[in-house]
Amino acid sequence: MRADIKIKVCMGPSGIATGGADVIEAFKNEINSIGKKAIIEERCSLHQVGCLGFCAKDVLVEVVVDGKKTIYEYVKPGMVSRIVKEHILEGNPVTEWIAGEEYYNFHKKQIKVVLSNCGEIDPEDINAYLAVGGYEAARMALTLMSPEEIVEVVKSSNLRGRGGAGFPTGLKWDLSLKIKSDVKYVICNGDEGDPGAFMDRSVMEGDPHSVIEGMIICAKAIGSHQGYIYVRAEYPLAVKRLQIAINQCYEAGLLGENILGTGFDFDLKIYQGAGAFVCGEATALMRSIEGKRGMPTPKLWRSAEKGLWEKPTVLNNVETFANIPRIILKGADWYSSLGTERSGGTKVFALTGKMKNAGLIEVPLGITLREIIYDIGGGIENGRAFKAVQTGGPSGGCIPAELLDIEVDYESLALVGSIMGSGGMVVLDETDCMVDIAKFFLEFTQAESCGKCIPCRVGTKRMLEILNRITVGNAKEGDIELLEELGQDIKVTSLCGLGLTAPNPVLSTIRYFRNEYEAHIKDKKCPAAVCKDLITFSILEEFCNGCGACKRACPADAIIGKRKKIHKIDPEPCIKCGTCFDVCKFNAIMKM
Amino acid sequence: MADIVGLTIDDKEVQAPEGMNLIDAAELAGVHIPNLCYLKGMKGIGACRLCLIEIEGLKAPMIACNTKVKEGMVINTKTEKVLEIRKFVIDLILSMHPLDCMTCTKAGVCRLQQYAYDFGIKESSFTRKRFGYPADEANPFIKRDPEYCIICGKCVHICKAQGTSVLDFMGRGVEAKVITANDRPLQESGCTFCGSCVDVCPVNALLEADRWRKGREWEYEKVNSVCLLCGNGCEITVSTKEGSIQKINAGAAEGSAERYICAYGRFGFDCIEAETRLTHPMKRINGELKETTWEDALRTVADKLKRSGKDVGFISVAGIVNEDALVLKKFVKDVVKTENVNTTMSLYADSDSLRKSHTADIDDADLVFLVGLSPSQRERILPALDAAIRKKVNRGLKLVVINSSEAKIAEASTISLKGDEVSNLKAIVRVLIDKGFKADKEIESSVKDAEVSEDIEKAASLFAEAKEPLIFSSPSLFWASANISLLKGKIISVALESNARGVALMGLTTEGKTYKEMVGTAESKEQSAQSGVKVLYAVGEVPLNKRPDGIDFLIVQNSHLTELAQQADVILPSATFLESAGTIIDYMGRLKYLPQIIEPQGASKSHRDIFIHLSKIIGSPLKRPAEAEVKKATRVKTKLSFSPFVKKEGFDISPSELIDSINASVINGSRLLWLKEIERAMAV
Repeated sequence: MRADIKIKVCMGPSGIATGGADVIEAFKNEINSIGKKAIIEERCSLHQVGCLGFCAKDVLVEVVVDGKKTIYEYVKPGMVSRIVKEHILEGNPVTEWIAGEEYYNFHKKQIKVVLSNCGEIDPEDINAYLAVGGYEAARMALTLMSPEEIVEVVKSSNLRGRGGAGFPTGLKWDLSLKIKSDVKYVICNGDEGDPGAFMDRSVMEGDPHSVIEGMIICAKAIGSHQGYIYVRAEYPLAVKRLQIAINQCYEAGLLGENILGTGFDFDLKIYQGAGAFVCGEATALMRSIEGKRGMPTPKLWRSAEKGLWEKPTVLNNVETFANIPRIILKGADWYSSLGTERSGGTKVFALTGKMKNAGLIEVPLGITLREIIYDIGGGIENGRAFKAVQTGGPSGGCIPAELLDIEVDYESLALVGSIMGSGGMVVLDETDCMVDIAKFFLEFTQAESCGKCIPCRVGTKRMLEILNRITVGNAKEGDIELLEELGQDIKVTSLCGLGLTAPNPVLSTIRYFRNEYEAHIKDKKCPAAVCKDLITFSILEEFCNGCGACKRACPADAIIGKRKKIHKIDPEPCIKCGTCFDVCKFNAIMKM
Repeated sequence: MADIVGLTIDDKEVQAPEGMNLIDAAELAGVHIPNLCYLKGMKGIGACRLCLIEIEGLKAPMIACNTKVKEGMVINTKTEKVLEIRKFVIDLILSMHPLDCMTCTKAGVCRLQQYAYDFGIKESSFTRKRFGYPADEANPFIKRDPEYCIICGKCVHICKAQGTSVLDFMGRGVEAKVITANDRPLQESGCTFCGSCVDVCPVNALLEADRWRKGREWEYEKVNSVCLLCGNGCEITVSTKEGSIQKINAGAAEGSAERYICAYGRFGFDCIEAETRLTHPMKRINGELKETTWEDALRTVADKLKRSGKDVGFISVAGIVNEDALVLKKFVKDVVKTENVNTTMSLYADSDSLRKSHTADIDDADLVFLVGLSPSQRERILPALDAAIRKKVNRGLKLVVINSSEAKIAEASTISLKGDEVSNLKAIVRVLIDKGFKADKEIESSVKDAEVSEDIEKAASLFAEAKEPLIFSSPSLFWASANISLLKGKIISVALESNARGVALMGLTTEGKTYKEMVGTAESKEQSAQSGVKVLYAVGEVPLNKRPDGIDFLIVQNSHLTELAQQADVILPSATFLESAGTIIDYMGRLKYLPQIIEPQGASKSHRDIFIHLSKIIGSPLKRPAEAEVKKATRVKTKLSFSPFVKKEGFDISPSELIDSINASVINGSRLLWLKEIERAMAV
């Protein structure tokens, strides 16, 4: 009997964080040590695979025996020996560790296009990519299709820029194709910097070849012979895997001169960003590659006409490029049919926050927020009430419960005051303060402003100051209106996308949660009990049994009371750290 | 010329050349669009957001500094929306800016103050915040005070555009600031103290270091003139108060690549009141120089000149104005009746190359050939030419540097041709002839053996494609280079002194003894040289420190007490170029006027007044030259013809030594001395 055994361990960012490397090590050791070495060595292959997507259950391990797939969740190194013994040796999967219903629900409404290879193939092995049809699309594009045909396919696929702004990709390529220039550039924007976003990172780490293939196809379409992948240096694994993939492509004749013998040349280089968020902005990114300070420049021309070094340049996001090979292979109709009339295909989201199943998901455009949060995300943790979902990172806004049934696409999200953005999705529940959330994002953008234009440099700072005084109870009547006015003005006057969208988190939270702002200003209360200066901690006499846990834990000696007697909090020394709240097992601490 | 398009700005019909920025087109119509970061002639950077205007048919406001005019555009610069935006932006800036206009030196010319006034903003409606950054006051030239900085970026952009690249941005968000590398003081950052940043700063962040409580701009009288300290002859704007000079700024038109002056031109004026300044004639009595009257001094000189006649020799700098040169020439030939007169120009140029140079404007050029020249802002050798070329390169000019020695400016070139200049010039002509340019047989035969390289081909192609090629050549290579200009374009022989070309055109060249013969040639610096004349009359700050042997009588006519003057028998105090009127012909062939800006110090007089006075005493009185006389002298046919491809010998003086030497009193008598000492210390 020939037992074909494969073990796949999730080594995405979350997989690594939860100890994936140790799990792999344990599998290696166990398989070596179970005696039947000869058989196992020959049949068993260990893959470092990309993200399986369901980060909340990491480390996820897929064990394939005779083509039969079993997925284990929450795997720790200590569990490996039992899996190897019972499942691999004896053929009895360890049922109690197998991923449950939630895992399958998580995947049910998803359609994996961009992520189809993530978690399935070894990203450091070009053969693995080739084995699943990799570079077939590039071969087709290079040998069978004219640039116009490629552009036409991309156009009719209805693919729109996945970086967030949603400019039709085919149109961008078409603009660039029509401009005559002996030098043109293709740039992949991998400077993903939104807090909580890791879509592009997962693709670059889990399926780097698909990005490269998309770029090759784009190069052919517009007639470019030089490409750059701009990756932030904070993504060392992405840089490493992309570099490995590029090297493999050069060896395989997929990059460099005379690609696949077609006479077409295309060189590709990685350029590492130094950590400035603003370099994700197209013009700043190009200045950065040019070796200048990453500062946005006014767009007199579209980049497709005059971009990098004033040459026609197509700049697309990682996810956009990763879609291209699939579109070429499976056709524009297939892709466009996945989405809505206005936006074709699927979109990857990094689902984080207060729902049960956090992780990386890919859904068809047009799906409702409710389906994402409740069907895929499994609803809110700990039975708390849903409050809002923040999309688009620091450029986006918060969408309240009453709008959960809107369909997710570029226009509908913009209509409700948010944006699609690159795909961050943070779910907030009743314990989140909306003013605090707005402050968090604005703190980020004002610190990351390049400082060039005045509205963004000074205006966001002034907005932040107002938010700060709201959260500490020093706000004045009229501050909400001032915020709105400032926000509107900044949105009209800023130079680049960073400034133009920076007020969104504030404006959208004011729009939907104005009462929370008012509570902070008029009643000096934080309804979600988050803003420290506006809350007080007290002990509910009817629940306190005088165990003293809170008193022992209090770092400020603010709790008084004798053992077995009701305790009290002295508001004077209390620093509102919340430790008592966390340690009390009897819900006797109240914060409001 | 660009096509003209018609558009409407605030209901006014405007005709503007295609490709012009809206902000400039509006100025044409007399409409000022507020802005803080726009530098005329450079790409709009869109940082200040004040110039947002509305274009009919477009939803969002557009920035006028970077939007080009289009036929039929209808622009509104004062809609309610944009006025609100501007007010908002000013409000924001004021929240970060000191409100001490009552003592601020820039009051009256501060753009921010103006706009705050226009919008009636007394103070910001936001919380004010300042960082307390320290000012850089460690040099006597420029005070850099980040507290006032509004990060408009003008200083950074001008500094980069002219290739100095000392300033840049650092930091993000509200903490972004303009700094030098590692935030070091300016003198440790490669700054040349040209002060271009001071000229563009719209607020009080960059200012001349000595301006505190020395008067504000509305108290100044402003006069345009020309700096005569080197061969660039830059236009300057001089500000005076109560008869003394307060500051000097670049004076060329805004937007012109030539709008630049160096530290000498900007800060050298201190020397007017230096300790070494001569305010009275002096005469050697019993071996000692003593002050005397003009009457006595001139009589002594006249006496000597009358008696010595042909044994008298005149040497002069070529930085004197045309009128002085004309009078000097007549004085020498008609009054003293000698042929021995020569200027420092003869040390680096043949006068014919200057006379035959074309008249050009670098702003019109699209290609520059730089032959045998190494302009350098750092060494202050033709610094304005260096800055202008670099600025033009940033605006698309192609630059070909042809130089057998290292030229720093080659870093900005499209092509740099090293090796023997003459061979390279020949090769370029050969390629051009191959490309179909028509040339004389003589030219054709003299270049037929020239070796052609890939770079030569490229340089020739650039020349063939250029619409307005301009050749700047060192005088020694002028004739060889001129052969290219026979095919197309213009050529300029670039001299080292401001009015060398004027002096050549006025005919102040020797028919008798040469400059070198009159001052003699010493074997070494310590030894003295044997002069070919008995009486030597030195006009201006000639590069001569030792009285040559064989001189019975030495007359020095200069504004400052130089080493040579200390060895003179009579010293006649002359006015500086800021104290007397006149004209020059600059290196580009343009006639430039210098008005008298301040009264001469003490009893000093202009060179020509001294000569005229002397002529009266001698008995053949000269008249002041009429304007027509100067103009007539400038009319020269510049038709060039073939000259052999050779480099003229004998012009091997070091440019930097000459320039420092003719400006020694300016440097030693001003805060420039501090700079020289710093530069010397840094060089060690």
